[in-house]
Amino acid sequence: MTDKLSVVGKSVTRFDAVDKVTGKAKYGIDLKVEGMLYGKILRSPYPHARVIKIDTRRAENHPRVRAVTTINDVPKITGAIGHLMTQEGRDHLYLHDNIVRFIGDPIAAVAADDLEAAQDALSLIHVEYEELPAVFDPVEAMKDGAPVIHTEDNNIAFHVLKEIGELDQGLEETDHVFEERYYTSKQKHATMEPTSSCVADYSQNGRLSVYSSTQRPHVSKLYLAKAFDLPVSKVRIIKPYTGGAFGGRDYLIHGLEIMCTSLSMKSGSPVKISFTREEDFIATEARHPFIIDLRFGVTDDGILKAMEMKCVMDVGGYGAHAAGVMTNALTKGVLIYKCPNITFEGHSVYTNKALCGAYRGYGNPQINFAIESLMDQIAEKLGIDAVELRLKNYRGLNELDPLSGQRIESDGMTECIEKAAEKFDWIGREKRKVANGTKRTGTGMCCLIHHSGGRFAIPDPAAATVMFNSDGSVNLVTAAADEGQGNRTVLAQIAAETLGLDYEQVSISSEPDTDMTPFDSGTHGSRQTYAGGIAVKRAAEKAKDKLLDLAAQHLEARKDDLRIGDGFIFHVDNPSINILVSDLLTALQFEDLSKGIQVMGTSTGVAPAVPTIYGANFAEVEVDMATGEVRILKFVCAFDVGKAINPAHVEGQIIGGEVTGMGYALTEGLITKDGKIMNPNFGDYRMLRACDVPKIDAIIVESPEPSGPFGAKGVGEATNAGTAAVIANAIYDAVGVRIEDLPLSQEKILHSL
Amino acid sequence: MLYINIKVNGKEYELGVKPYETLLETLRDKLGLTGTKLGCGDGECGACTVNLNGKAVLSCLTLVAQTDEKEILTIEGLQNGAELHPIQESFVENSAIQCGYCTPGLVMSAKALLEENGDPTDENVREKIANNLCRCTGYEQPVRAILEAAKKIRGENDR
Ligand code: FES
Ligand code: FES
Repeated sequence: MTDKLSVVGKSVTRFDAVDKVTGKAKYGIDLKVEGMLYGKILRSPYPHARVIKIDTRRAENHPRVRAVTTINDVPKITGAIGHLMTQEGRDHLYLHDNIVRFIGDPIAAVAADDLEAAQDALSLIHVEYEELPAVFDPVEAMKDGAPVIHTEDNNIAFHVLKEIGELDQGLEETDHVFEERYYTSKQKHATMEPTSSCVADYSQNGRLSVYSSTQRPHVSKLYLAKAFDLPVSKVRIIKPYTGGAFGGRDYLIHGLEIMCTSLSMKSGSPVKISFTREEDFIATEARHPFIIDLRFGVTDDGILKAMEMKCVMDVGGYGAHAAGVMTNALTKGVLIYKCPNITFEGHSVYTNKALCGAYRGYGNPQINFAIESLMDQIAEKLGIDAVELRLKNYRGLNELDPLSGQRIESDGMTECIEKAAEKFDWIGREKRKVANGTKRTGTGMCCLIHHSGGRFAIPDPAAATVMFNSDGSVNLVTAAADEGQGNRTVLAQIAAETLGLDYEQVSISSEPDTDMTPFDSGTHGSRQTYAGGIAVKRAAEKAKDKLLDLAAQHLEARKDDLRIGDGFIFHVDNPSINILVSDLLTALQFEDLSKGIQVMGTSTGVAPAVPTIYGANFAEVEVDMATGEVRILKFVCAFDVGKAINPAHVEGQIIGGEVTGMGYALTEGLITKDGKIMNPNFGDYRMLRACDVPKIDAIIVESPEPSGPFGAKGVGEATNAGTAAVIANAIYDAVGVRIEDLPLSQEKILHSL
Repeated sequence: MLYINIKVNGKEYELGVKPYETLLETLRDKLGLTGTKLGCGDGECGACTVNLNGKAVLSCLTLVAQTDEKEILTIEGLQNGAELHPIQESFVENSAIQCGYCTPGLVMSAKALLEENGDPTDENVREKIANNLCRCTGYEQPVRAILEAAKKIRGENDR
């Protein structure tokens, strides 16, 4: 570990801040390419139907229409990155069929000279459907005789059963058994830039260039190449600035890049498709709703002896994340507490509703809401302090992870809980309780874990190249996709620190381009600071090593005696033996005609581990018993991030995540009636606004991760995992009602009082 | 087609516009000022906020025909040469920008707010920017940035 850090740990300004604050940053939706056409997608009005015939002739004859494509021309992508691991998986990345499975499922698309013409032409396409019986409830969908949405029996897209120890025995050995059922809602990412815009351009030299706001440029490249039978080398993904992602831009957007590419191939011109906000709401991914049955056995003194968790997850019409999200709910559910007897069973089930996918937390906000609500009930029933109950049971340092078999090496849970409890004044909470007219206050807490990356479950490579320029400055090249988290800034900090340079000396382009970067699995699962950071650090170390080798030759000194600092390479014992880094690099590149060397380092590979991120939340709320309205009065949270490379970014991640968590807890959720989304706009889908949220105290805990760059692990996905539970617990404390069905809306609270 | 004269970021334009054309469309599609963002087109997100004669308006709900003879300020017109406006500077310094998509709208709301009230409280700011949705920051750092910008601007006025 480096003892004195000069760039890491500093809240340097993100490198793209000025472009963003002056309006210069170009997002997908802002892009214009010479000769570009405008595309629009025709969507299914039925939740489940067979498309018998698509007559596009009238649309094609429209004077301003240049191309029409349909689901008969292009496949749907139904695979996730895990599919790349086996031949069988690779064979099932795509689905070629004429079935539409939710209202809004793409059927055809047109490209025209202008958007109006494209829109008009959609109404000229005549589609003949055979309506099929639809099913909207995952429990109904699992029953024998339910309409079959894909080919699987009982619509089960994924099933998992994990048994650790002996559940029955554990339940027998306990003094108390607690059982509850929980429901969670379908939260929308609702990124401020509608998901999504893309420009596909197949007009040059048989190469396909796609501007796509994807979190995984290289995976998107691979998927598009295979879909159109192009050599992977001929496909280029360029990711422009992206107005938020949160998992919603994992891989390709359902129907978007595929149809856009097809239109470009047919028309020979670049084509742009942008979704409207309504399309974003009805036809892009959302958070999977869960039904969770818990049965926990606990001893009198609050030790968990048995945990049974049964989950049914509604995946909607397509299930690229059917396995991933359920598996992540499993790992978080199994690993949070060191219970010896655990059974987790999960069913991911297709329904004829809009598709679900990756969303910050990835199954954790659902399972955490259930577990931490039940833990609160247990604490109350047994008369044990909620904090103490967590501290007694959580799986901490040196405990064995029963899933990976690895020992837990970093551990900040105790510190998170204790620091947040102190700042919150948990001890003094009873004294603060107010009953004023119809208003009651209450407090609650919860804890959570998450992980950095998916290295043990899915292909998860990271890569980076560090190149010295002749003036001593450095270019950092990586495919890390930055959707606003600031990971590219953080990676530049890691490179600068490793090389002994100032942050300003490391330059990184605003957004990645697959033509210029080695394969990186992308930005997901809180992995870029950790796994991406490891790759950058290794690449920088290689470049530095090379530089010192060459300096040693040049100065006729031993490499081990040389140091870099203040722009010089110097002898540690005799600083008069030195050379300016820029002089050496200039000599190597240009002066010595026998050399011509660019000093650089590249690293590719996976991170060694999947470190655990810990967190604790404390909330104080006021509930108005006359209206059911909840106000969050105070919110303190702490997260163990290993090492905050950029503390201001970490704070931003924490607060931003908690606020979307507050929306998940209190107001958000898509409402579907017979497969139709009833609230596809910001008026009816209520997200929290600045006046709705309190000041949030975000405490950063740094329990170093030995394998992480400068001790860092991730944070982003952990930050909204425990918000619903802490608010539910505080509401219970205030008014004595426990609502087990998200969101904890005003109506539901009023109704249960 | 209607013909109007507008001033955008200090520059005069004579434009032929459609009766139902929004100011947002004119700015983005005709004038190439894509700093003003489209978030919903329904008046619900604030991403399209610009200043019209000094007041914050939602450009997606404003018909451009109604802005005839008026002055419009967008995010692109806020800085003075290479020098950022104190609000912009403060957003940069306070890490109030993540994806940045809501940022132009937030900054333009803040501009109008600070013109009206140079010494706002945390609560004033939260109320005034309630029209601006931000999905990344949770509002804390932007609120901090606006309060700090107010201080900066007051300091400048003192000088
Ligand atoms: S785009 Fe104008 S308010 Fe959303
Ligand atoms: S910074 Fe992303 S929406 Fe505000």
